[in-house]
Amino acid sequence: MNTNSRIWHLVVILAIFSAPLLIMYVFQVMDSFTERRPDSLWPGELDLSNWRFLWEKIDSGRPSIWVVTFNTFVFATTTAVAVTSLSTMAGYALSRLNMPGRPYFLGGLIMLHAFPTITLIIAIFIILQFLGLFDSLLGIIFVKAALELPFGIWIMKGFYDTVPWEIEMAGVQDGASRVRVWWELVLPQVKPGLAALLIISFLSGWSEFVLPLVLAPGSSTQVLATYMNAVIQDDATADFGLFKAIGMFYSIPVIVIYLLFQKQLMNIYGGGTKG
Amino acid sequence: MTSRFLGITFLSPALVSVILFFLLPVLLTVVFAFTNMSTSTGIMGGDYRIIKDQLRSLPDAGVSNESIEQLETAGFQITETGLAALARNFSADTAEELGRNYMGETFTARRDLERVLRGLDDPIRKTRDRKAAADLFAVTIMGERYDSEASFRTALASTGIDTADHDALVNVAYTGWTWTTDNFRLLLELPSTLRYAMNTAFYVVCTLLFNITFGLFLAISTFYLPAKLANTFRAVWFLPRILPPVLYVLMWSWFTWDNGFIATVTGWFGVPPQNWMMQTSTHAWTVVVLINGFVGASLGMILFSSAIKAIPTSMLYASEVDGANRWQQVRFIILPQMRWPILFMTSYQTLSLLTSFEYILLATDGGPGRGTEVWALAAYHTALNNYGGNLQYGLGAAYALVLVVIGIALSALYLRFFNFKELLIKPRIEQ
Amino acid sequence: MELKLNKFTKRFGDTTVIKDMDLTVASGEMLALLGPSGCGKSTTLFAICGIHKMSGGTLHFGERDVTTVPAQQRSVGVVFQNYALYPHMTVEQNIGFPLKVQKLSKSVIKAEVARLAELVQIGDLLNRRPAQLSGGQQQRVALARAMIRKPDVLLLDEPLANLDAKLRLEMRSEIRRIQRETGITAILVTHDQVEAMSMCDRIALMKEGKIVQLDKPENMYANPGTQFVAGFLGNPPISFLPATAGETLSLGGNQTLARPSTLDAQGDIVIGIRPEHFGPQHGTGLEGEVIFVEPQGREDLIDVRLDNGGAICAILPSGEPVKLGQRVNWGVASERILAFANDGSRL
Ligand SMILES: Nc1ncnc2c1ncn2[C@@H]1O[C@H](COP(=O)(O)OP(=O)(O)OP(=O)(O)O)[C@@H](O)[C@H]1O
Ligand SMILES: [Mg+2]
Repeated sequence: MNTNSRIWHLVVILAIFSAPLLIMYVFQVMDSFTERRPDSLWPGELDLSNWRFLWEKIDSGRPSIWVVTFNTFVFATTTAVAVTSLSTMAGYALSRLNMPGRPYFLGGLIMLHAFPTITLIIAIFIILQFLGLFDSLLGIIFVKAALELPFGIWIMKGFYDTVPWEIEMAGVQDGASRVRVWWELVLPQVKPGLAALLIISFLSGWSEFVLPLVLAPGSSTQVLATYMNAVIQDDATADFGLFKAIGMFYSIPVIVIYLLFQKQLMNIYGGGTKG
Repeated sequence: MTSRFLGITFLSPALVSVILFFLLPVLLTVVFAFTNMSTSTGIMGGDYRIIKDQLRSLPDAGVSNESIEQLETAGFQITETGLAALARNFSADTAEELGRNYMGETFTARRDLERVLRGLDDPIRKTRDRKAAADLFAVTIMGERYDSEASFRTALASTGIDTADHDALVNVAYTGWTWTTDNFRLLLELPSTLRYAMNTAFYVVCTLLFNITFGLFLAISTFYLPAKLANTFRAVWFLPRILPPVLYVLMWSWFTWDNGFIATVTGWFGVPPQNWMMQTSTHAWTVVVLINGFVGASLGMILFSSAIKAIPTSMLYASEVDGANRWQQVRFIILPQMRWPILFMTSYQTLSLLTSFEYILLATDGGPGRGTEVWALAAYHTALNNYGGNLQYGLGAAYALVLVVIGIALSALYLRFFNFKELLIKPRIEQ
Repeated sequence: MELKLNKFTKRFGDTTVIKDMDLTVASGEMLALLGPSGCGKSTTLFAICGIHKMSGGTLHFGERDVTTVPAQQRSVGVVFQNYALYPHMTVEQNIGFPLKVQKLSKSVIKAEVARLAELVQIGDLLNRRPAQLSGGQQQRVALARAMIRKPDVLLLDEPLANLDAKLRLEMRSEIRRIQRETGITAILVTHDQVEAMSMCDRIALMKEGKIVQLDKPENMYANPGTQFVAGFLGNPPISFLPATAGETLSLGGNQTLARPSTLDAQGDIVIGIRPEHFGPQHGTGLEGEVIFVEPQGREDLIDVRLDNGGAICAILPSGEPVKLGQRVNWGVASERILAFANDGSRL
């Protein structure tokens, strides 16, 4: 009885602190679908006009939402696939292969893992101009993938480290080459890691804002983050209904992934940054 | 043998991209910080030209008044080359007539030459054509573009300007970037530097405090809740971590702007609507810290929760048997176990808060005024986005260099967290 | 196939773990590498199978020098302590993997797998995954996978360590049966002397990277070369007592024993008495007090503290009326006393 009432205190305190988030979530969903009177918090009638950006251009000079979504999708999937495959290879090399300079690579990886990549953006901006990749999807894909790599390699190395050595020894003894051992015997053991990394780097690419903003400012390479930001910046009337509808649309994949993999994501974010 | 080869093969794609997008940028940040690169100098190197606007600053550059005069007044002269060009572009008759009557003559203003061209027996009729034709006889180098130093010097020589002034003029005429330490001098001189540094310190300390205390609070309180309830709260707090920043900040904007939630609710009590985010610096700071704090607290919650879960339950039971109440349990059992996670969280977050500017950029963009402009955002504004339009890459790189140096130092420190001996363990298959 | 290690040396960085080891295993023989933890058994095994490089010395399989041949081409089958089955493959795929690597046809692989499954008696488990098998069954699968390539040598690294007592007994005879049936040369790594003695033709007893004795089990037990060997073999273990050799063996505190006829040393020595050589059946001679009685079903182990302070162990058929605290005066089969110099060497 006593503990119960104390738990209720705790719940109330937590609820108060969580209230801003909950209010934001609720109105985020509600306002995108309904028309509310400005001075009231009660939902009005169902109103889908906020979603008009899906079938018409909200103003001239803005690319179609579908082009933008396609860009975002290409950007997020390509970086996710690139990060995952490169990390899968490099992580294995660092975890398991006997090669010269391995301790230095590992030390370097740990440093890179902690290093704040965003400080390099000015130099990268100029490098991309030199390479002629400025304002192209390809350019930001390269950059994003490269910047995510230390994290990815770190995660994958962690997964490889948990695979028993004996499995590899047995494979070698059974006559398989190291590549074959890796591909056929070790890789299946780290599938959960692959999936996790794929999901995380997809989410990270999907949400990325600063890189496209700086490195691909043109309208043909717009992604949802920069598109949405541009709509918000350009609209003087602060039409939150429209913004929220775009936000809803933008976050659909995130929410779906979140609902499906919430537990695993928490584990990875908890363990992943811990190193 | 094979495994070495395989290792290098497996590593090299990652290595290439790390070199291209980590090591090279670090080096280039240093290099750029020592240049005056900007939009107007371009980044590829430049060409040579002197324009009218520059004439006034020439005395400061040490150019004699006589030479300036010469630059300014040198005009148009009828020469063989000019005539040949005229014959080629317009008509041979016109050129022949002009040569016959005016060979060697000079005109200070283009207008005078144009008048002559119109007055010929075989005149050039269109105004635009006359302009173009007159330009063929120009002997001044004003406004002309030369793509190498050599060609600029040749042109200078042909004008008869005193050779003593040539070097100074070359310097003035160069439109590309040059090496300089001015950026650092500027950083030291500008009062805004100190302001941004203070802003950054304030921002990092406040957000960090919020993150850690609140993260701990969330972790500990959800630990004591029944599983279902705890998961609900964790879910609510985890979402900001994976929502796109643009959307997350939008929700805060709606919450705080003058047609948003707070304004609506306070409106019921007769408070006139106001922008609760941008009203004053205090408002802005509060919102910025909360925006970052809610995201950071959710990371703290996840980290600390898993650390609490790792505490052996027997320890907690034992303390309960000993009659410790919840608060004592937290104080004497849980908190002491949190030392490493807290230390880790502090160092990790310090680094990322120091350098990231995404949320501030989206929320206040450093405003109101420069109230919430932090160092990283200043670097961004200077080099990549400002209203003036002239992006100062060099100065921005100097800003960024400070962060890069801090970043390298702190991540080297971070390396200390790891048992370096562990890195030296050899792989168990020696192939 | 005969296996021959010549002057094998293994270093990890600066530490030399094994120095100049010579070892020959005859064709079709099963040899035990026995020794305390950390003595270098696994290291030797890894060198033989090619997972570790040898720092010095040579290794021959028959006439073939395999010192620098990579593990993949050595034709060695290994059973690891934790079996190291591939978790994502079925039993059939696990056993067939070595042949799949050799690119044999599906039908050949299937037939071979069936043959091996028959040999290790797991024919009905072929479609399961390792996680669905008991420890003993996993063991059999690992054995089948190691054998399917018809390797020159079979290496077993503590194969029974993870099994419960009953299964261990069963698998002991199974492994021996399979080794005999196939006539393969095998090396068994173990730190369990009972395993070594009951399964193998010969035992190589190792200590700190050296083979201290290589012999048939019964010889090694009856005739240990050093005090270490005598102490390592036998359960319950041999009891060592300091003694002075003169006319008789004087144990101090006026306890004496007759000299074994083969002993010709004088002065301070150490004698070892196995439990079965001490007890009432051997007459009288050593007086003391029973300080511990441990019934083991068929037999009782009895610790006796001698009046001079030394302790000695006896093993008696159960049912002997011996009680804690009882005073006894029991004899020793003096011809079976083992005598050692103070440096541990056999006298
Ligand atoms: N990779 C290595 N680096 C350095 N020393 C090692 C390495 N592997 C083994 N050793 C050392 O070599 C010695 C022999 O190890 P080994 O694994 O062969 O022992 P073992 O006889 O198999 O013991 P156990 O019965 O415990 O398995 C040990 O002292 C061990 O610490
Ligand atoms: Mg071992």
